[in-house]
Amino acid sequence: MEQKPKAYMNPYLAGFLLGLVLLASFVITGRGLGASGAAKSVVIETVGSISPEYAKNNHFYASYFETGDDRPMRNWLVYLTLGAIAGAFFSGFMSGRVGFKIDKGPRISNAARLAFAVAGGFLFGLGSQFGRGCTSGAALSGMAMLSSAGFITTMAIFGTGYAIAYFFRKLWIN
Amino acid sequence: MGPFIPQGLINPELSLFFAFVIGLGFGYVLEQAGFSNSTKLAGVFYGYDFVVLRVFFTAAVTAAVGLLLFDYMGWVEYDLMYINPTFLKSAIVGGVIMGFGFILGGYCPGTSVAGAVIGKIDAMFYLVGILAGIFFFGTFYETFKPLYTADDLGDIVVYDSLGMNRDLFMFIFGLIALTSFVVTKKIEDKVNGITPPYKGLFHPSYNLPFFLLIALITLNLVLPGQPRSKWYETPATTLLDEAASGKYYVGFDEVAYKMLHEGENDLLLVDVRGADDFSRFSLPGAVNVPLKEILGTRAERLIQKSDKKVVLYSYSSSDADQAWMLLRRAGFRNIHVLKDGLNGFYGQLFDEKPVTDNEMASVAFETRFRERAAKAFKTGEAAEKTVSKGIPVTTIVDIIPPKAGKGGC
Repeated sequence: MEQKPKAYMNPYLAGFLLGLVLLASFVITGRGLGASGAAKSVVIETVGSISPEYAKNNHFYASYFETGDDRPMRNWLVYLTLGAIAGAFFSGFMSGRVGFKIDKGPRISNAARLAFAVAGGFLFGLGSQFGRGCTSGAALSGMAMLSSAGFITTMAIFGTGYAIAYFFRKLWIN
Repeated sequence: MGPFIPQGLINPELSLFFAFVIGLGFGYVLEQAGFSNSTKLAGVFYGYDFVVLRVFFTAAVTAAVGLLLFDYMGWVEYDLMYINPTFLKSAIVGGVIMGFGFILGGYCPGTSVAGAVIGKIDAMFYLVGILAGIFFFGTFYETFKPLYTADDLGDIVVYDSLGMNRDLFMFIFGLIALTSFVVTKKIEDKVNGITPPYKGLFHPSYNLPFFLLIALITLNLVLPGQPRSKWYETPATTLLDEAASGKYYVGFDEVAYKMLHEGENDLLLVDVRGADDFSRFSLPGAVNVPLKEILGTRAERLIQKSDKKVVLYSYSSSDADQAWMLLRRAGFRNIHVLKDGLNGFYGQLFDEKPVTDNEMASVAFETRFRERAAKAFKTGEAAEKTVSKGIPVTTIVDIIPPKAGKGGC
């Protein structure tokens, strides 16, 4: 039985609810949301378990292994992301949107889309390190705290996006 | 009140549970908003779908206004909040790289998680890319480090950077968000070839929410600068009533009795005189917190941890009264003051004339008690009884009774 997926939530309502979630995060933890932090923990933990020697000698990894029981996988952002996984799945499931699918523009092949997805992820992962957080942690949470970094990062992300969108239009539009 | 975890108001063991619950809301909203769909996300750059801008701006403005109003109400300590540090070059370089990542990949990390869990294969590939990108950064960390750590401007906030009043900035920020909502809707309709079925700037159903936002940012702008008392602070009128009633005084008899009967001693004696005076002599079992340190973290911890009745004392009761006022104002309960202070205490202890009226049994008992107390304190019994509590104690045996009697501050 094929069910038609439900419509997405009104964006302003969704934004308002997301704002409340963010506010709750600030009130409870004193800091905002984040997504790239969990990915960073995964990388650090993986590198640390595959080659502890290498992790010890590399400053990027070493600083996370110095304190004995404060393992990167056990931190706040990892559990936040685990929650996000469950929440997103619940939402998708309830709205009939679960199923394997590739979203792409009308003019590119699946293989090209996936290759660009990996490239985009790579750049976002790299950029999130320089930016000390991604769209959630640096841009959204930063703007909510009215931090300068939040506004600078947001303008850099979206400014760049608009500046180069024309050159990559083949990926997304006719 | 908030933030809870940095202030230790939530058991650290539970903090990960809260992380999970907040994550649930985060993931749910992202997916409901359509952020699990990369073509929808990329629409913001091509004008056919501005959902990203709407959700993103609404969320940022909601949380920002909420925080400012919570701060005003005294519900959160803004100072304890984490503010993303600004490393100017690194933030710009990172943002530019992320901009490329957004156009190429169609996701950002949070949205790719939402997409991947409901089966979006492109989101899964994107996640692999993220891990590789972070690994790349880690591998060449030494190369990137000079740029990564350059231009550390600290925890600066945008209104300071712009040389602007905070609430005025929030007002302008809110107006910019509203303007962008209206303008992008027009662009979106044009790109998609839709003629809006309504006249005016936006759909009439947005009248109320948009009006609410303007009302809130205006309210935040016009509220007087001085915030109300914090939620935990005792209102001045309550304090006045309590002070006038004098009920916060604890008399000599109670203190002396409890010092002699350890099993019934539910007092935490706090000496608010200076450390010099305290080391010369003090009541047995007393803890020294000089008046000027009464609002410090050490005093806070001591009093918060204690489930006992806190009794403040000084030579007379004036310093102790001030300490009482400060602690009560700061929201502490069960705070008392030794009536007439040390001077009164010793006056009662050593100078009390025995009452001869034997008809009044209670008075007689009191008299016998005081005689016994005076004897006990002189021979150091009280010190022996209270010294086992593990609090630094100067025994009362060393005490030289104040020469002038009363008023020896």
